[in-house]
Amino acid sequence: MSDKGPHQNYLGMRGWIWAGNYKLERYLYLLHRITGLGLLLFGLFHLTATTIFRAQGEAVWTSTISFLDNPLFRVGEFLVVAAFSYHAINGLRLIIQELGFALGKPVPPIYPFTDAIRRKRAWTLVILAAIMVLAVAFFIDFTVRGWG
Amino acid sequence: MKNTYLQISQMITGALVAILLAIHIAAQQSYVVLGLLGIKVADPTTWVSMMERAHQGSWVGIYIALLAFGLFHALNGLRNILLETNLSASAMRILTGCLIAFGVIFLILGTYTPIALFSSYR
Repeated sequence: MSDKGPHQNYLGMRGWIWAGNYKLERYLYLLHRITGLGLLLFGLFHLTATTIFRAQGEAVWTSTISFLDNPLFRVGEFLVVAAFSYHAINGLRLIIQELGFALGKPVPPIYPFTDAIRRKRAWTLVILAAIMVLAVAFFIDFTVRGWG
Repeated sequence: MKNTYLQISQMITGALVAILLAIHIAAQQSYVVLGLLGIKVADPTTWVSMMERAHQGSWVGIYIALLAFGLFHALNGLRNILLETNLSASAMRILTGCLIAFGVIFLILGTYTPIALFSSYR
């Protein structure tokens, strides 16, 4: 009798990076997880800053804000917004597909085959457009407020 | 069945967090864009501006809802990742308990300050 149990996840987290013929969607999923972990770390830092430091009064709050107002943290701030934008847009795509929409009609594999990158070019363009918008916003902000 | 409900909750809280976080980011960053258009708006990170929001029930509600939904979404997402590390069932139960405890502690920490500031005003 053959074993009909679930397959073991032999690769574990290493399988995130490479386990054979991964397509673009798999890397979008990987980036979704990385941005999610980054946002979790930022969220805990942000929560600590806005509760513990805020509760100690105006002087501590003002000195915390002035300490955070430097180029390093502002670059980090833009990375957080970029990660949130990507995570939210890709999450919306995942929800839509989970509900059975936007999957496309199944087609038989007839030669010549279309590779995944070409099929997903529309999504690639959307992501590149989002990155460009964020980059423009980043430089406008730096032009207005400067590096200080 | 438990994991199915968790997956549905993950999607619902994800959508809610996206909406609430978009409101939060827009409120924090709109003064830069409005400044470009010549409209002067106070920097929302100043103490006075922050205290004004802390005394408005709608903002307190948004922050607490964002915290609750965000913590669930983040910690359940982290659990989903940890499930892929081939841990034993008992280790996974302990980790799930730790994540729940962690979430409850941060929920109490995160709700105390806005409620205390709001109560002090009234």
